[in-house]
Amino acid sequence: MLSVKESVGESLSAQAPTLDLHEIQATVLRPRPAPYFGTHVLLRIDDAQAGRKFIRRLTPHIASSANWWDATKTWLDVGISYAGLEALGVPQDSLQSFPEAFRVGMAARARQLGDDGVNDPKNWDKPYGTGQVHIGVSAFSDSEEKHQRALAIAREQYEGFSGVSVLAMQDFGAQPGDRNSLGYKDGIDQPPIEGSGADPLPGQGRPIKAGEFILGYPGESGVPLPMPQPDILGRNGTYVGFRKYQSRVGAFNRFLRANASTDEERELVAAKLVGRWRSGAPLTLAPDKDNPALGADPGRNNDFDYANDPRGRQVPFGSHIRRMNPRDTKLTRLTDVNIHRLIRRGTTYGLPYDPNALSEEDDQVPRGAIFLFMSAKAMATIEFLQQEWINDGDFIGANGERDPIIGRQEEGATFTIPKEPVRRRLRGIQTFNVLKGGEYFFLPSISALNWLATLGE
Amino acid sequence: MATQTATVNRPKQDLAVEPKIQELRKLFADAPELAKTALENSLPSLKELLAEAGASQSESAGRIGIRQGKVSELTLIAPFAPGGAQRLRTLLRFLDGNFSAAKKVGTLHDQRFVFLDNDTKLLFATAYDGEWDPYIDDFATKIPDEMDMIFSALEGWPGIRSPKIKDWIVAHQIPAEGWFVAHPDLTVAETARVKRTSKAVEEFLDKIG
Repeated sequence: MLSVKESVGESLSAQAPTLDLHEIQATVLRPRPAPYFGTHVLLRIDDAQAGRKFIRRLTPHIASSANWWDATKTWLDVGISYAGLEALGVPQDSLQSFPEAFRVGMAARARQLGDDGVNDPKNWDKPYGTGQVHIGVSAFSDSEEKHQRALAIAREQYEGFSGVSVLAMQDFGAQPGDRNSLGYKDGIDQPPIEGSGADPLPGQGRPIKAGEFILGYPGESGVPLPMPQPDILGRNGTYVGFRKYQSRVGAFNRFLRANASTDEERELVAAKLVGRWRSGAPLTLAPDKDNPALGADPGRNNDFDYANDPRGRQVPFGSHIRRMNPRDTKLTRLTDVNIHRLIRRGTTYGLPYDPNALSEEDDQVPRGAIFLFMSAKAMATIEFLQQEWINDGDFIGANGERDPIIGRQEEGATFTIPKEPVRRRLRGIQTFNVLKGGEYFFLPSISALNWLATLGE
Repeated sequence: MATQTATVNRPKQDLAVEPKIQELRKLFADAPELAKTALENSLPSLKELLAEAGASQSESAGRIGIRQGKVSELTLIAPFAPGGAQRLRTLLRFLDGNFSAAKKVGTLHDQRFVFLDNDTKLLFATAYDGEWDPYIDDFATKIPDEMDMIFSALEGWPGIRSPKIKDWIVAHQIPAEGWFVAHPDLTVAETARVKRTSKAVEEFLDKIG
């Protein structure tokens, strides 16, 4: 099983999976390859019959999570927005069984998501937030050649007949390695899912009930979550928050330079913002100096808690990873950290990070990440995180501050680094990743796709 | 029973002051003499307040209720289930103000239980930070028994773990028409931090003084 552990960073469990892996789309359980290549294709359905024909043709090519740990890492997934379900002719009572946040879409939930100021939907790239994005198809692969082949297969299913139009295509990938647009190794800490057939990695914590991530299974409270109807449509599906960010690399680099006088200091500030060195090595295990070997080792790079760091001297309370997974941090509000986790697939696009990019023009160079955030609690998880853990700091004692990496910053925003004898407060924090668009999708099971394809027959 | 819709419908505040004064005078025309006198006496300061009210601090607290700064209000009126009033009264008497679950929640500034109409209804009112909606699921996994023990006194309480719980709360919540908070920027957590800082500063001053 060594190959599995090395290739996808997971270790197989002695216990057989209890989830319907053949039904669940691969993106839900399969980690992103490293390095990776891919494309997101956004489509509009102009004719219900054509839309169903497209789904019917595409479904045999959609990968399930069966053997999700398999090293053959090229696959297609498909998500459908509420407008897309309408366009496919899903019956009214079924449409109404979807939760409100999903129905109105991400742009209409700007208040709950804190998407205002520079992140306001009125500033988004087209076609996001226009109600026209009906279907999102993504190709993932570990090689450019296989990626192009997968994309060609997807294209064959919508080309050659009218009624389905491509609105946008966005290539993504990170090579070599898997550094994101600000130069960090990312995607390290994923929630362990009960019944998926993998043992948690060291430091991942106990497995979380599958119902938090996949519809049709009990969640952490022991009760199954509300599911869209009919059963065949909802079961084994999940919801995806799809968010496209533009990285303002110039602003980020200027901030780092303004707050550090040497390269070493700069890297330490960069590490404090995230809680990990750019190599992925966590500050808890490598508090003073980077340790790239540690960062690269999935058996060790997530194996820590905050028991010895109650004051944030190693990992600041306001840092990105401590916010996104507070682990055993004592929070100010009654919180069950296990019910606010998301499966996330970050897909970096554009030019690689450039440590010497300093100008305002560099902020405009297309470069950033599209995130796929998955949760079975519809959009409640992502909206909670945006509201409480990203665009606020009260919950963890970082009062008045926001997530330095993905927060939407106010004028005069700061970042506090707890320190002896007195804290250090960094000024000049800006919105380093600007939201350029997003959509809420439903990621149906394979059976649900077949159901959708044959609607009205 | 609350029948209000889920959003607080607040009139636009940018109207000129004079029409508002006229409207008030009209409404007060039928009022008792002492009310009319009070209005006239208050006019100078009232005009200032009305002029400032355009930059009103009140906003919606999520699905229902109002918020000032970071502090929101929740008022709920619901009929008691059979025997519910007796159960809750006894529980509250034994607890004698010792609400450990409320303290654990970390966002509650206060809460009160008022028995109405000959023990047929409960009025529950609280001031809390942010929105209640996002944390309901946390109550369901962290303090389900504490919640159900108290609120099962109410007719139709579906249980804190029920998917219907949010709709039940909204259906019984009545948004306040007025809401004042002395320190709208101070959450419970921030207040604790300010107290700690203040104590440390006093100790420091004591040492150097």
